[in-house]
Amino acid sequence: MANVAGTAPAPGRAETGESRSGLRGLVAATEIDLRLFGMLVALAFILLAFNLLTDGRFFSPGNMVTLTVQAIPVAILATGMVLVIVSRNIDLSVGSVTGLIAMTYAALMTDWLPNALGMGADFPFRWLIALGIGIGLGAAIGAVQGFIIAYVGVPSFVVTLGGLLSIRGAIWYFSNGAAVTGLDPTFRLLGGGGRGSIGEMLTWGIGIVGCVAVVAALWNSRRQRRRFGFPVRPMWAELTLGALGCAAMLGLSWFANGNYLAPALAAEYAQQHGIVEPPGGLKVPAGYPLPIILLIGVTVVMAWIATRRRFGRYVYAYGGNPDAAELAGINTRFTILKTFMLMGVLAALSGAVVAARLNGATLDIGSSYELYVIAAAVVGGTSFAGGIGTIPGAVLGAFVMQALSYGLAFMGVNSPGQNVVAGIVLILAVAFDSWNRRRATS
Amino acid sequence: MVMRKLAALLAVLALTLAACGGDGGAASDEPTAGGPDGTGAATGDCTVAVSWNNFQQPRWAATDQPNIRDVVEAAGGTYIDADANLSNEQQLTDISNLIGQGADVLILLAQDQNAVLPGLQEAKDNGIPVIAYDRLIEDEEVLYITFNNVGVGEAEATAILEAVPEGNYVLIKGDPGDPNASTFLPQGWDNAGLKEKVDAGEITVLNMSGENWPEDAGTYTEAWDTQTAQENMEAIIDAAVADGETIDAILAENDSTALGVVAALEAKNYGFPPLSGQDGDPANLNNVALGKQYVDVWKNSNELGKAAGQAAIQLCEATAMADIAIDVDESVAPLDGNSPTGFETPGGNTVQSIILQPTPITAEDLGQVFEAGWYASKEDICAGVTEDDPGWEPCQ
Repeated sequence: MANVAGTAPAPGRAETGESRSGLRGLVAATEIDLRLFGMLVALAFILLAFNLLTDGRFFSPGNMVTLTVQAIPVAILATGMVLVIVSRNIDLSVGSVTGLIAMTYAALMTDWLPNALGMGADFPFRWLIALGIGIGLGAAIGAVQGFIIAYVGVPSFVVTLGGLLSIRGAIWYFSNGAAVTGLDPTFRLLGGGGRGSIGEMLTWGIGIVGCVAVVAALWNSRRQRRRFGFPVRPMWAELTLGALGCAAMLGLSWFANGNYLAPALAAEYAQQHGIVEPPGGLKVPAGYPLPIILLIGVTVVMAWIATRRRFGRYVYAYGGNPDAAELAGINTRFTILKTFMLMGVLAALSGAVVAARLNGATLDIGSSYELYVIAAAVVGGTSFAGGIGTIPGAVLGAFVMQALSYGLAFMGVNSPGQNVVAGIVLILAVAFDSWNRRRATS
Repeated sequence: MVMRKLAALLAVLALTLAACGGDGGAASDEPTAGGPDGTGAATGDCTVAVSWNNFQQPRWAATDQPNIRDVVEAAGGTYIDADANLSNEQQLTDISNLIGQGADVLILLAQDQNAVLPGLQEAKDNGIPVIAYDRLIEDEEVLYITFNNVGVGEAEATAILEAVPEGNYVLIKGDPGDPNASTFLPQGWDNAGLKEKVDAGEITVLNMSGENWPEDAGTYTEAWDTQTAQENMEAIIDAAVADGETIDAILAENDSTALGVVAALEAKNYGFPPLSGQDGDPANLNNVALGKQYVDVWKNSNELGKAAGQAAIQLCEATAMADIAIDVDESVAPLDGNSPTGFETPGGNTVQSIILQPTPITAEDLGQVFEAGWYASKEDICAGVTEDDPGWEPCQ
């Protein structure tokens, strides 16, 4: 979230001290990343449109939680895809790897762990062991592909295309193609739902932490700028941004707490806490589901890596100008290898959410994901020319695509119709972005 | 320099001629060796070729293929096959290759009934009888061996309508390009009385996408994909809750979509209204035992494979189509007897067919599946079943 407000002066806007006409001047003074802000506006517009089209039935906390949880597998992958595309590569195998790892989780928990290693259903932290194995597998696959791309020099399109085909084929051998179901209940919490939500108190807690984080980031940025002699934002801009950020964090928490537990779970809760249920059932706020917490964590970590770690800066440097990066002494090959390893780890996390939601795995998990993930990254502002793209943008891109999909399904439009709309929106979003960028540089 | 180029050109020409000559040779051998009026086949040297459309689906490797192969080899024949991996072009290539390898009979699982017609023609030109396996091909010379797909739909809807005669229904259909999903199964649903009840107002379908019946009734699921079914069902549940409607029953056309429906119901803690499916997939039969799915229409494809194998051998021995007799388990025996009878296709053709009967499996019927040697083992089906679950008794 910090990137929206821009904690460092955006290039070309260092002269914020100069006056510009009225509203534009005010907006420029806040140094908001207009692209990202524009995406937020677009998302809000889409949600509003669906709400109008469905006479107000669409926009409710429960529905928005459903939509968000559906978007999470693609959003997690999109954060990694940004770095891959920024460094002028592509990863077409993400869908297959996600599917393979999801099937691995299912096979581990229903067969290999209990039967081959004697870890029965009550083995402590069995779900964590499975998750660890999945992440290791993802990193390994990413390392192999990354090695062939970076050190052997085969184009990433070719390597990951080969990965897409062979890995998808390999999944069949796990169960001769049959679906494998029956995961550990603790693992399944990663899929969200009533049981996998953190509840009212923790949700407010996250809202408060988020608010504090926004204020702290703004304060820290002001301090750093003063220290190094950069121009600071006007005080009113800082206060406005702080207030808006805080309001957003607390508002989202309040909204998430408007999502109540299903009647069956509420009854269970009432029983556990010795509360007598009023007529009409007890309204217990469910709060944020666990997958959303996972997504927040992944987004924050990935954004931090991209902007505050050397590895991230090397990726952007390489993407902007590969030769210059090489000549500047950056170990470009290792950097590329790491982007693909990261992609593999994210595929393991995404696969965990998918498998948890499905309580198992099928042959087709993740098929076509590569297209949605690339679309999300691109809609979020990542350019195929390399060097440009933000993590929050990709996450927003994933939400925009899923909002369309979910909204259309809510209205009863069939899958083919959803695909037609998604394709058109993708083209429009990128065209608008290109036009905007050209206008800005001309 | 010129000599080298000339030599290269000659080499290429020679190779090309050799290849063409080879093909020509095989092709010219065919009509005499393999056809129904040929002399070679009757001596027991029968090569049965199978062209699969999507061998990756678990069922074919688990049930159909082993049974066809065992029947053919027990009769002294040879079994060969190829997989088209969902591609029409690949299937045409496969058919050519199988013919080239000396096929006497072709068992054809068409990826697309129209796109496969050139391959069908090639087989006919070579005098090779064709069995249309599981999927219809609109041609009056083929032998169509399948399960009664309309009957499957009827079985699904009969079971659900019995459990929930009135209320709100959700219809989940399969891939819009598959005639099973768009035509045969919905026809079966209507035969069981669905349309009547909707017209009489006793049943309301919550997810209509328009006014037309049956085209707009229900939600299609591209590629029968489980995740797509899950996401669509979540949106449908949200819409129903927003409208204050309860979902009383769900008609899903097959098991992969039913699995997605169960996942959506669990994510929303909605409970488990009666749900249908078909195919007898292990995960779904487990759900039947656990009470999450009400009925799974099981097609014992062991018997379908046997029937096709038997028919193929008889066609090899130049038996006339009307005289073919198959021997299958009585639970699946065709209603019209064990010889082919005429079947009126949607395209207006009359195709000689052997149509086996499906078996609806609810929790109490699970014993039948255990006895039949299905690829879903009793362990798989009974995993996690406790005494509150409907499958407890049969699982003992």
